[in-house]
Amino acid sequence: MRSVKRGLRSFIRHPLANLVVVLLLFVCLTLSLSMLAVKLAADGQVEEVKSSVGNYAELRVSSAYKMQLFSEQREQDPAKRQAEARKMSEEELLEERTNTLVPEEITDDFSLLPEIISFDKVLEAHVSLQDITGTELETMFSMRERAPGASATSSSGTFAFEGNTNGASASDFMLGNKVLVEGSFYTYQDYLDANPVVLVEKTLAEENGLSVGDTVTATVTGAEGRNSEMELTIKGIYETVEAEEGNAQDPQAFNPAGNKFFAPLSVVQELNGTAGYVELGYFYLDSADSSAAVQEAFQELVVEGLEGGDKYELATDYSDFESISDPLQKVSKTSTIGLAGALGACALIIILAMAIIVGGRTRELGVLKAIGATDRQVLIQYATEILCLCLVAIVLAAGASALISQRMGNWLLQGNAGNAAFVEQAESPGGTGAPPMMGIGAERLYKQGGRFSPGNRNQQSVELDVIYRGSMLVYGILILLGISLLGMTVPVIWIIRLRPARVLAME
Amino acid sequence: MRDLLEVKNASKSYRVKSGEVKAVDGVDLMARKGEVTVIVGPSGSGKTTLLYLIGSLERPDTGEINVFGENICRPNADLIQYRRKRVGFVFQMFNLISALTALENVVLPMDLEGISPAEQHRRAEELLQRMGIDHRLQKAKANRMSGGEKQRVAIARALANDPDVILADEPTGNLDSATGKVVVDILAGLARRDGKCVLIVTHDEGILQVADWAYQMRDGRLKGMEVRG
Ligand SMILES: Nc1ncnc2c1ncn2[C@@H]1O[C@H](COP(=O)(O)OP(=O)(O)O)[C@@H](O)[C@H]1O
Ligand SMILES: [Mg+2]
Repeated sequence: MRSVKRGLRSFIRHPLANLVVVLLLFVCLTLSLSMLAVKLAADGQVEEVKSSVGNYAELRVSSAYKMQLFSEQREQDPAKRQAEARKMSEEELLEERTNTLVPEEITDDFSLLPEIISFDKVLEAHVSLQDITGTELETMFSMRERAPGASATSSSGTFAFEGNTNGASASDFMLGNKVLVEGSFYTYQDYLDANPVVLVEKTLAEENGLSVGDTVTATVTGAEGRNSEMELTIKGIYETVEAEEGNAQDPQAFNPAGNKFFAPLSVVQELNGTAGYVELGYFYLDSADSSAAVQEAFQELVVEGLEGGDKYELATDYSDFESISDPLQKVSKTSTIGLAGALGACALIIILAMAIIVGGRTRELGVLKAIGATDRQVLIQYATEILCLCLVAIVLAAGASALISQRMGNWLLQGNAGNAAFVEQAESPGGTGAPPMMGIGAERLYKQGGRFSPGNRNQQSVELDVIYRGSMLVYGILILLGISLLGMTVPVIWIIRLRPARVLAME
Repeated sequence: MRDLLEVKNASKSYRVKSGEVKAVDGVDLMARKGEVTVIVGPSGSGKTTLLYLIGSLERPDTGEINVFGENICRPNADLIQYRRKRVGFVFQMFNLISALTALENVVLPMDLEGISPAEQHRRAEELLQRMGIDHRLQKAKANRMSGGEKQRVAIARALANDPDVILADEPTGNLDSATGKVVVDILAGLARRDGKCVLIVTHDEGILQVADWAYQMRDGRLKGMEVRG
């Protein structure tokens, strides 16, 4: 204790020399801590991105296969095709309808991979409803939405149906583009039981005088023109909120989304006449890191493992993850190098400073030994002095780096971002009548649920929030101890080698 | 031999570029409590080396040093305790710690020994007072003091843990003759009044005036001298 006290006193009694050392250390430590903060922030953000981007995958029929189908059909004479179609058996018809669909069991089997934490499957279909009028732009909407190869039915009374296993987790609801305002979602149980229930858009419900509990009648297209009917009970009514963005002048006049119905997947399959088939299965992985493994498993299990498996593809958003995290990872790398450099400078400074300080005080060391100080006493005294020196410097540096590290982070990000940091936005020109892109208000680009939707890729400049984390304190203490320990080597060497007889007699 | 400081056939050589220097060469010496023993000799004759041997700062190559019954050349001799409590050094260059005040310098050996702060202060003040360093000067930094003041503070420090032996190496070497005389008188007083064993090495033959015993040193060898009747 007394040695510590002597060290403190000695620290206070050498203000000028200490000030110089503290200043030099301060500069390098500020740099070190800022770099460290930036690095930790960048690493943390990459991890965060990992859990929301790059962890999404869709199993579907590959676009190449679809293109091939499409061009084959185009070459055929439509009249001849219709004639052929009439001759087709039920199985052949089903096969044609499910050409671009995925058998449900493939997605179910695939979802058993340990990397997959949640999964859903989706089927979209066009369904004729009796005595229901669509909202104004219905025609245009249904034209836009029509999948290639879908049979050309009369647009009036035809509506887009989206089916999945659980209404609440349909992407539009997950993303908040649509909200349920009345009734309730259909559940997984509804899907299992194939309960004929639907969710209806509010405007459409109002215009047709529908409310929760009412039924609508759908026409089911069967084979060989044998149509049947299905009663669908309205389970919930939703509202579309996407009109808020940009072109909100008259949301009533323009509501293309009004014609969309949501129903349990099994119901949509029945309506579409494609039982057991889905358009796609989508999967959330535990992390973007699993992307490659899942892709590999897909190749093995589906592409090579199934007959005709090569018509499927697994699309992931891993490249999104890469483009978002790439500048962050570069920042992390740069700041690591900066950190190493700055810490090296700290080490150099403390060693040189101690060499000068202790070198100038060898006589004092000699005196201490001559009057009976033990090496331990001398070392504790010097350790205290060095610790004080480094502590003052690091506390000041912590304050300074708290002020500058955000700026440093931005600067590094800019330097590293190049053109990659900004995901381009397809800016929709305002008021031209095109449906507005949805959900720009979301602060993160990352999908929170739901499927790829190209319109969803808003511009998202990658930002780096340099937040001081708890681990900074730990690292700070480690750095403090590290440079103090390094500084101690100088007095230790001096004390071991010192011959008091020599230094005391110096003139 | 409990009342005797005895050096028996001590030698110490140093390796230098040109070979080996026999700084101390077969020295025999005796000194008693209550007496002033003076060793005179020219510069480079080995006086400082001899003093450091006695002060345990150097170890003799051969020979033996007994200080009032304690053989400090024993391999397991407790040199820390010896330096703290049995000997006090006074140097030509004063060797005070310049960042500390006079009082703190005197307190230091007691602090290392673990004496209570109150006792340290009381004793340090008393010693400094006795050396003619008043309260105001006690609070002054050592490097602000004159040579005479510094040397008196150094003597107070040497006395801090009340040792039997005071070893003074050219105590007047950096002082003018008047101040030097004051310092020498103080050292002589320590022998006469306090019964310390005072050993002074110097090239200043004037100091022989206060000597009870004297030796002449030349090329590491020691020879007894006549002192005033
Ligand atoms: N630590 C040392 N290393 C090498 N030579 C030394 C050392 N100390 C003293 N000497 C040499 O020993 C001799 C005696 O020196 P010293 O005891 O200082 O004499 P004095 O005090 O009488 O001037 C000198 O020649 C000196 O150079
Ligand atoms: Mg000398």
